[in-house]
Amino acid sequence: MPGMWRMGLSLGRVPDEALLTGLTTGDPELAVAFVRRFQRTVFGVALAVLGDPQLAEDIAQQTFERAWRHAQVYDPRRGSVRSWLTSIAHNLAIDAVRARRASPLDPQDLDALLGTVTETPERRALADDSAERVRRAVAELPREQARALVMAGIYGMTAREVADTEDIPLGTAKTRIRTGTLKVRALLEAAEKR
Amino acid sequence: MECERLRELDAELALGVLPARERAEAVAHLDRCPDCREHVERLTAVGDGLLALLPGAEPPVGFESRVVRALDPVPTPKRRRHRPRLAAAAVAAALACGFGGWAIGTVVEAAPPPVTQRTDAGLREAALVSDGHEVGRIYTHAGDEGWVYMSVDLGGNGRGPVRCLLVHVDGSTVPVGSFPLKDGHGYWGAPATTDPATLTGARLTAPDGTLLATASFPTSH
Repeated sequence: MPGMWRMGLSLGRVPDEALLTGLTTGDPELAVAFVRRFQRTVFGVALAVLGDPQLAEDIAQQTFERAWRHAQVYDPRRGSVRSWLTSIAHNLAIDAVRARRASPLDPQDLDALLGTVTETPERRALADDSAERVRRAVAELPREQARALVMAGIYGMTAREVADTEDIPLGTAKTRIRTGTLKVRALLEAAEKR
Repeated sequence: MECERLRELDAELALGVLPARERAEAVAHLDRCPDCREHVERLTAVGDGLLALLPGAEPPVGFESRVVRALDPVPTPKRRRHRPRLAAAAVAAALACGFGGWAIGTVVEAAPPPVTQRTDAGLREAALVSDGHEVGRIYTHAGDEGWVYMSVDLGGNGRGPVRCLLVHVDGSTVPVGSFPLKDGHGYWGAPATTDPATLTGARLTAPDGTLLATASFPTSH
């Protein structure tokens, strides 16, 4: 593709933060490089939450537009560009889901997602350490806590919605979300100290 | 709200699923309680970690070009509004973040006079070197919507601020701004109008003028 190389430097090697800075300059080539680098992640998050490719595409597009408008407030101390984009996509997807959620979560979707986020390490041998630690920690939770954590943390369901979906008292839903979260945090901190 | 009550809601707050009213009360508590704030921040890593486990997915054909079209501000008069908007956002960001690491725009006043034509030389990269060792990288993008970005690790050499000057072929230097370090490490980016025909390198200096690192850009031709 013409222009992919400038002064012998491939845009593929430019750090994420530099591409984000470049995005604000209105240079279409940098915008293409930025979108190309993160589109799988952004679309993947939107699709996992929404389960609807067309809506997920709208949300993914809005994510890039928002990142472009707010690139100046990105703070590298708070996390990577990828995790910043992930959280923008997630927030937008949750808002979209809340705006239209008429039917309860499909139990099959939840089971499939739970399987994805806890799948065995052999299939993920090349995954980075921190993701692997989270995966193992979630896999170690009792099933009902892992379900509550995924419902809240990924699908953005409130404790009341978790309670209704699981047909359990509100207090039990709150306890499952909280216990699951604190256990994962404790397992992560233990793993980081090792 | 007291700490004890906050801790009951910590996970829901960190995962972003607390209903609006409780959330407002909890956030008000965090504003005045550093211990609870730190506790909740640590829990947000669980939510972020979960999201990082979601598998990527290939968007539909044409997604990339649709997005890029939507991002293109282009009509020229509109473009001119970018800088003031950047500056305003930068002030807000600096206030919100407590320091100006990404306070893009605060240095616009100090940028050299704009060149009127965008050049084709585009992006350039160079190592930042101190005592013969690479301590970071600097990138510049040419043109009147150009920018400069760098990341640097000066080891134990403190907190900055580090001043960045661009060096031109006639030996003149132009300050583009300064940025703080954390444990000797920092990232920084800012709009900067650069002309690859005259830009030859960069210098990072301490507040007292001590040279911390230099960079030489490869020549254009």
